[in-house]
Amino acid sequence: MAHSATQAPPVAAASSSPIPGWAKFGAIFGVVSALSILTWGPIGVSGTYPRFIGAVFRRLTPGLAHANPYLEKMGSLIKPETFLVIGLLIGGFLAAKLSGDKAQGAEYIHTGETSTAKRYRDAFLGGFLIVFGSRIAGGCTSGHIISGITQLSVSGLIFAAGVFATGIATAKLMHKGAK
Amino acid sequence: MTPLIYALIVGVAMGALIQRVRASSPAMIAANLRLENLSVIKFMATTIAVGAILAYVIAAFIGKDAMHFDIKPTYVVGVLLGGLVFGVGFGLGGYCPGTCVVGAGEGRKDALMALLGGVVGAFFFTLLFSSVIAPINKLMDYGKLTLDQVLGLPAVGVAIGLGAIFLGVVYMLPTEVKKG
Repeated sequence: MAHSATQAPPVAAASSSPIPGWAKFGAIFGVVSALSILTWGPIGVSGTYPRFIGAVFRRLTPGLAHANPYLEKMGSLIKPETFLVIGLLIGGFLAAKLSGDKAQGAEYIHTGETSTAKRYRDAFLGGFLIVFGSRIAGGCTSGHIISGITQLSVSGLIFAAGVFATGIATAKLMHKGAK
Repeated sequence: MTPLIYALIVGVAMGALIQRVRASSPAMIAANLRLENLSVIKFMATTIAVGAILAYVIAAFIGKDAMHFDIKPTYVVGVLLGGLVFGVGFGLGGYCPGTCVVGAGEGRKDALMALLGGVVGAFFFTLLFSSVIAPINKLMDYGKLTLDQVLGLPAVGVAIGLGAIFLGVVYMLPTEVKKG
């Protein structure tokens, strides 16, 4: 009796073993992304950055804003994509609050980051390059990789290949000297 | 008006999912790019597989024009160059343009620095677009090109095939990679 009692819990735990987070959340995100294409359009974030620049410029120097072909091309901030980005902010806030996760102010991510200042420098330069790069390509992780490949677009596959080539190389190089 | 509300709802869900899978943690992104932990890469591949199959199966029933597909043009040189520049920033900072917004919502201060860097990057991009970027993006431009067109097969079949391959690879790959 005692023997079977001690054996029971692991068996029960194994049969009710939860689906890993990446699989569960990935499947839900896949459904959300398809419903997004059904209801308004594919998800995409990076275009909101230049549209934000455009909105600021149209207030400060309307002449300059209208003379810039890229700002004219990207158009107004009153677009679904802007509301998607506002949603990201709310979603991140709510998920952290409801799960009780305490995010670190600055999380050191590789061996080169030995101070908060260095972490901020990398985050700033990284932020600059991801938005500059995604605007060259016309999309980022969401627009090109997730929505792009979801829609079977060849550009999404090319962008992903570029991102992982230098992304993996940079992350490994920046972590030199780690055990 | 309604599309704006749909987009807001999708954004909230997407932000929460990104936070839950820890894709808004730059240390987690760096671990994925160093190929030490593959959870975020597996999350993305699962999203793409499920999304592609579902979107194209729905399209097969209601018609492609009833959907809001929006294929980005394949200008090979610019798309690849943009990806290579993006990758350097991704590896350096551990954020992408969406995850730094999620991180800011969570209260990460370095996410605010990435957001600021992104705004400055967008500003310089708008200045350089006409003179430098637009000519590059005219090179090898194949327009809105999709895999089903390249293969000459029905889109729903390609979506199911690609989805199955992604799910199969993801299922076989380990999440935590032992260092050799």
